[in-house]
Amino acid sequence: MTRTFLAKGMEIVQHDLQQILIRGKGDGNFADTVNKEVSLLPPKENLRMINNDEFLFAKQSFDQWSLLCLKKKSEKELYRLVSVFNANEEILASDYSNTTYFEISGENKNYYLSKLTHFDLRAKKFPVSTMAQTLIARIDCCLYNLEDKYLLTCHKSYEDYFKDRLQDAIDL
Amino acid sequence: MIENKIYFKFDGKTFEGNEGDTIAAALLRNNVKLVGRSFKYHRPRGIYTCGIEEPNALVQIVNEYNEPNVRATVKKIYEGMVIKSQNRWPSLKRDLGSINNLLSPIFSAGFYYKTFMGPKGFWKNVYEPLIRKTAGLGKPPREFKSKSIHLNHNVDIVIVGAGLAGLLAAKKLAGTKYDVLLIERESSLGGIMKNSKKIKFINDQSPNDWVKKTQRLIENSNNIKILKNTLVNTYNFKDHLIALEDRSVGKPQDNNKPELVLHKIRTKQTILANGHIERFISFRNNDLPGVMLAASFEKYIHRYGVVPDESPVIFTNNSSTFSLVKSLIDLGHKPKAYIDIRDQKKIEAEILELLTKYNIPLYAKSEIEGCDGKKEIKRVTIRIKKNETIKIKTSMLCVSGGFNPDIHLFTQSKGLLKWDKDLLTFKPDKIFQNTITLGSVSGNFSYENVLKEVNEKLSFFEGINDLEVKLDIDGPSDFQIKELWETKNLKKSLWSKSFIDLQNDVTTKDLRQAVTEGFNRIEHLKRFTTNSMGTDQGKISSINALGIVSKILKKDISEVGTTTYRPPYAPLNFSAIAGRSTYEFYDPIRKTPIHPWNVKHKAVFEDVGQWKRPWYFKKYEKETMHEAVQRESKQVRKSAGILDGSTLGKIEIKGKDALAFVNLIYTNSFTKMKPMTARYALMLGEDGMVKDDGIVCKINDQHFITTTTTGGASNVLTHMEEYAQTEWPNMNVYMNSITEQFATLNISGPKAKTIMKRVFNNIDFSNERFPFMTFNTFDYLNTKVRILRASFTGEQGFEIYVLPEHALTLWERLFYYSRDLDLVPYGTETMHLLRAEKGYIIVGQETDGTVTPVDLNLNWMIGKNKKDFIGKRSLTRSDIVSSERKQLVGLVPINKAYGIEEGQQVIEEKILETPIKKPIKMLGHVTSSYFSPTLNHSVAMALIKGGNRKIGSQLYVSTSDLNVIPVEVVKPNFIDPKNERLVT
Repeated sequence: MTRTFLAKGMEIVQHDLQQILIRGKGDGNFADTVNKEVSLLPPKENLRMINNDEFLFAKQSFDQWSLLCLKKKSEKELYRLVSVFNANEEILASDYSNTTYFEISGENKNYYLSKLTHFDLRAKKFPVSTMAQTLIARIDCCLYNLEDKYLLTCHKSYEDYFKDRLQDAIDL
Repeated sequence: MIENKIYFKFDGKTFEGNEGDTIAAALLRNNVKLVGRSFKYHRPRGIYTCGIEEPNALVQIVNEYNEPNVRATVKKIYEGMVIKSQNRWPSLKRDLGSINNLLSPIFSAGFYYKTFMGPKGFWKNVYEPLIRKTAGLGKPPREFKSKSIHLNHNVDIVIVGAGLAGLLAAKKLAGTKYDVLLIERESSLGGIMKNSKKIKFINDQSPNDWVKKTQRLIENSNNIKILKNTLVNTYNFKDHLIALEDRSVGKPQDNNKPELVLHKIRTKQTILANGHIERFISFRNNDLPGVMLAASFEKYIHRYGVVPDESPVIFTNNSSTFSLVKSLIDLGHKPKAYIDIRDQKKIEAEILELLTKYNIPLYAKSEIEGCDGKKEIKRVTIRIKKNETIKIKTSMLCVSGGFNPDIHLFTQSKGLLKWDKDLLTFKPDKIFQNTITLGSVSGNFSYENVLKEVNEKLSFFEGINDLEVKLDIDGPSDFQIKELWETKNLKKSLWSKSFIDLQNDVTTKDLRQAVTEGFNRIEHLKRFTTNSMGTDQGKISSINALGIVSKILKKDISEVGTTTYRPPYAPLNFSAIAGRSTYEFYDPIRKTPIHPWNVKHKAVFEDVGQWKRPWYFKKYEKETMHEAVQRESKQVRKSAGILDGSTLGKIEIKGKDALAFVNLIYTNSFTKMKPMTARYALMLGEDGMVKDDGIVCKINDQHFITTTTTGGASNVLTHMEEYAQTEWPNMNVYMNSITEQFATLNISGPKAKTIMKRVFNNIDFSNERFPFMTFNTFDYLNTKVRILRASFTGEQGFEIYVLPEHALTLWERLFYYSRDLDLVPYGTETMHLLRAEKGYIIVGQETDGTVTPVDLNLNWMIGKNKKDFIGKRSLTRSDIVSSERKQLVGLVPINKAYGIEEGQQVIEEKILETPIKKPIKMLGHVTSSYFSPTLNHSVAMALIKGGNRKIGSQLYVSTSDLNVIPVEVVKPNFIDPKNERLVT
């Protein structure tokens, strides 16, 4: 389902994406295992991300990565990916798809988001191809800077509350 | 220019004002001087200032939810505004409360502390209600749904104040790489340039033209954002400022727009250019309406085009009042008299020249002794020589006692102050944060030096050049002042008062009395007299109080020191602080995938953490919770019930050292546990107290899935991460929270297995193939489900873990396939009842952070042969193993008709005295209690001292009406003690 929020200078589109949360050392063994499947080497620098057409790969902390599937995969294929990663005994991979995904674009996106978060969204502090884990509307969110838009994710259980807060931020 | 006329009401009478007028400006325009009554003595009060520092003119805005204590000198009028004066009855002119003024000679400092000591009970029932009724400011506002919002900013530089210094700083930073926020409390920029005629020209332009041009330059710069009508209230550590913007200035509040915006600003550098505050002088009856600060009088002229009086008397101890005289003369008026305490030789030539030219009487080396009038000033008494006074009739007295740099924000930032003997004021000395002070806030009262200061102090910023600005100042260029805090009171009348704090009705006599009574430390004296403790925080008078006290103590002011300036700078609405975190957004809300079904089936929800969990389901509209819970639980025991358990925390643990890790985290031993089996597990803190519980599912030695309590999910993960990262960093183990990745459907009851067989017809649920506390993953339709055979009700039970997107379909299928089996949805209350019947604990209900596994009779869950686990050492402490500790027992009322109340005390006394006169030995308390429909009587669990030894004995449980009910102490397990139902 896609729902769009429109405001002056901002558009929010909801996407139905999938995600795998990966924990591990991030060493060569880790990189090989992941790279074989997604053709991306895990970013080494914390809060950095890389992407190709199919995946977005971000380093969330020293031992945690998020792998977002930008193209919808079958449940079976996703399960297979998780299993392949978990076959490596030094990796923990969990299907993390039950997440809400918003794509936020437009010149005023920072203004509206500043009603909901204290996070410094200025380009010099939050450059393109980086991500952040921060509080938005008082809930834990991940925010990915994709040059001209942000990808914002939060737990699915907050979806209704979060949408109401987004609408409220637009209305007021 | 044609001004737009605005009509508003004050105390029921309609007045006309101009668009842009504050309430005070509009009232002065209509020659209204009496606007309120004072806090304690109900003395008539007028408009003293022209800004946020106002101590007197506080009003109630009736049409804005009866908003109280609004400063008339700040709030702008709009069409239809309804204003009421405060603290008077029945009317402002005839206030019965003014009897307090007649009684005032006995209301000295500390009156309340000394007087209302007895008789016992009088304070609560007589004195306090009476004092509260007669004293005070406005009435509380009506409830309303605020639309105030919060807005966050991250910038490089904040400039507080857009007067001369602030604008010069902004101009210097315009077009640079820095993100700058320029904050101005007024609705237009310019500060002193808009308030007076002190500056004639800037770069050969009128100050107004220069301000407009500079504002355009700033607005076009792209790196500076201007916030008007915004007051910086708080300067926190570290370089964090809170500012309040009033978005409804000069217009009625719009219910669809935010009336207030709370700006939360994080910056690297703060430039304080927030100016100064004029202070008053204490003299007899210095509170009469018609007494006003000189700079405020001038501000009314220039900002609002209002001349409060055409021929006021001016009383000063400094050189700043030149511009007021000049402003009046320019308008064709002139002061009735000019009184300066300085010797004529010390008075600036420009002032003398002006007074002489326009034939204005000068009283040099003189002072105001006092003023007289009933509801407003009628005449002033001037002491021209030590023992010689004259009286002058006047309706207005303008006073200037010098200036205080507006150091509130600077001191909030923990900057240190120093006393300036020449300027007679405290000014910033040492910074504590990244703060720069510019202009009069730094004690720089010379406009010509401001430019130099700006260029010097901002020179370290990269990419900026020195500004060149030519200032043409009208009048004395240097600020000169002679010390005067208070004039000598000639009249000895008991009702003539010389005020030091106008808002709290504190007199200079109160200060003397306080010192006499031993309150010679300024912080003590402040609290004893309540000086500067009003909502204005003594902005125009606190330094005067220090001056007077220093004279009494015969000390230098710098030795007396200042009191602490605390945030906020000025009062701000609770609605602004709360922002959107009210009503529907009070707390974030989490919903499970089954939530829509729960809503449709009339679930009544309870908040568990942020989750909305069904508490119980109403079968019909008038069904009570008790009826619903009794019905649900009976049905579960008879047939089957289903609970939405999706909120339970779930953590996936994997790694080479996962087994060792789980063994350390939980008390149980998992080493010999077979793969694909599960175990109820306890987690302790270092202190040996129960922290959480859950089920640990072992996939293999390297891979586990555990569940946690709903409320404890994030804490448990944090606890695990902390130990993995800090205590056992060499372990190869990782954890992911998968709480949201699986919905959990808990089905239990004697028919549970039958229903499961119907839905999952390819799975063998026999006891042999699927025994209690085992689990497995199965293909189901197009997905996979993990099924765990476990129970929290004491009945045969299964927990189904399924991807959330399939959860609702599966949930409905379970109902579809059990149409003839009476499957009932049940909520958390029934879950609690069912588990209590079985004697299962709930962490947080049977535990409170002081309960060990031994106290709960869960010794069997402690791995005796384990080398270590968190909390193990604490469990060996003598007082932890003492048999006298409180232990978990069951309670059953002897008379089965009685119910036991949760939280009540368990005692040995058969009868409770009423009232209770001697201590009663409390054995413990009831942790859980329910009426069991299966047993048809109440069952309860309690933690009582030496509980295990008391099993079989009779004790008593108190009731809320101070009775007791006899109970039998039993084992905390009321049904199926042999667990036959679990394994059938």
